[in-house]
Amino acid sequence: MKKGLSNLFSVLGMFAMTIALFAFVVPQDQKVGAAWNVPANYKSMKSIKATPETEKVGKLLYAKHCKSCHGGVGEGDGPKAASMKTKMQSFKGAKFQAQSDGVIYYQSFVGRDEMPNFEKKILDEEDRWAIVHYMRTLK
Amino acid sequence: MKNKMLFIILLSLISLVTFAQEDTTAVAETKDKPVRSPFESGYLIDAQTTVIPNPNTLEMVIQHKFGTIENGHSDLWGIYAPANIRIGLNYVPVKNFQIGAGITKTKMATDVNAKWTILEQTRENTIPVAVALYGVMAIDGRNISAFETGQIREAYSGPVGSFKFPDRLSYFSQLIVGRKFTDWFSLQAGVSFTHYNAVGVLYDHDKVGVHGNGRIKVSPQGSIIFTYDAPLKIKDISEQLEWTNHPEPSLSFGYEISTSTHAFQIYAGNAGSFLPQENMMWNQKSISKDNFAIGFTITRLWGF
Repeated sequence: MKKGLSNLFSVLGMFAMTIALFAFVVPQDQKVGAAWNVPANYKSMKSIKATPETEKVGKLLYAKHCKSCHGGVGEGDGPKAASMKTKMQSFKGAKFQAQSDGVIYYQSFVGRDEMPNFEKKILDEEDRWAIVHYMRTLK
Repeated sequence: MKNKMLFIILLSLISLVTFAQEDTTAVAETKDKPVRSPFESGYLIDAQTTVIPNPNTLEMVIQHKFGTIENGHSDLWGIYAPANIRIGLNYVPVKNFQIGAGITKTKMATDVNAKWTILEQTRENTIPVAVALYGVMAIDGRNISAFETGQIREAYSGPVGSFKFPDRLSYFSQLIVGRKFTDWFSLQAGVSFTHYNAVGVLYDHDKVGVHGNGRIKVSPQGSIIFTYDAPLKIKDISEQLEWTNHPEPSLSFGYEISTSTHAFQIYAGNAGSFLPQENMMWNQKSISKDNFAIGFTITRLWGF
């Protein structure tokens, strides 16, 4: 009887350990996100004028809000990047930089899926454009 | 005399609020925007900053203090010693006004608090400083025996029969004035009034204190932070003939790392509690190396 109980506890222990280990599984195959469907009013948005001040502010805000996922220089290799299901595009890439400021604005602050909405976190338009300007310097 | 002091404090606050409203109108006209992040969080170690998150934000705060470092490696510099913990939630219903509640292990205290940032410092110096009011009411939740036995230093010393719920209450109100001098340096000063409804016969019911704290940013996400709080010896509001149990000032310093939704602060300091009135009324640990304890404050924001 005692042996039976011991075996039962062993099986339950193994089962619990398996469940616990599965909790730490990181998705290995990240998918490339589908093309963004950006509304026309965002595509045609005009950004504020870039100045050394906006670039400085953009760098600080990028470090605070974006760096943990997108990495220090926008390569999409921040500490949280590995746990994402979607592969992040590099801000240095020609494809990213070819987009209009308004499209980058939409992607950055309206977001979709794993890219969270930042409109309630960064309220000031000037601050949002400062981040876009800083992302432009990463090419 | 006590009533006169309360009246003066109240009058100052009312005039400050009136002044604040006039200035806010002026700001709207000139469109001078508030400075960006004078501090990264509403918390600076145990102290409050003039910063309040955006409206409709819920903030969770976890505060933890280990034991003092005096025993060295025998209790891993206080990490194995009994600790104090506070868990709190704050919510911002409207711009620049926050309400919150929390529970603290020591004294099983439950607190409710509110903060109002009356003025925000602006980028063009139309308003050169930020001004905030902060208030806390705490309920000592221990069993009545804690008050009866007198075993606890600050225990209520009156007859058991007369002990009532209001005897558990304590209050803290503070006026904070802060300025972000440069992108890397912000400083705050404050004055506070602490009141306990019930104290032992050798203690005062009221304390007036001064506060100073700040941050030195050393990287986009990292800052050196410090706080100093000193209860003042004001004979006119003291009920004692001598300053035998006057609380000690407290000093803390640490490092803060902040992200979009988190602030993580690790520090060392000689204040034992998280509730400001506790530190202003009961801190008997002087500023010396052995009295320092390691602690941390973590905040997490959720926007709705």
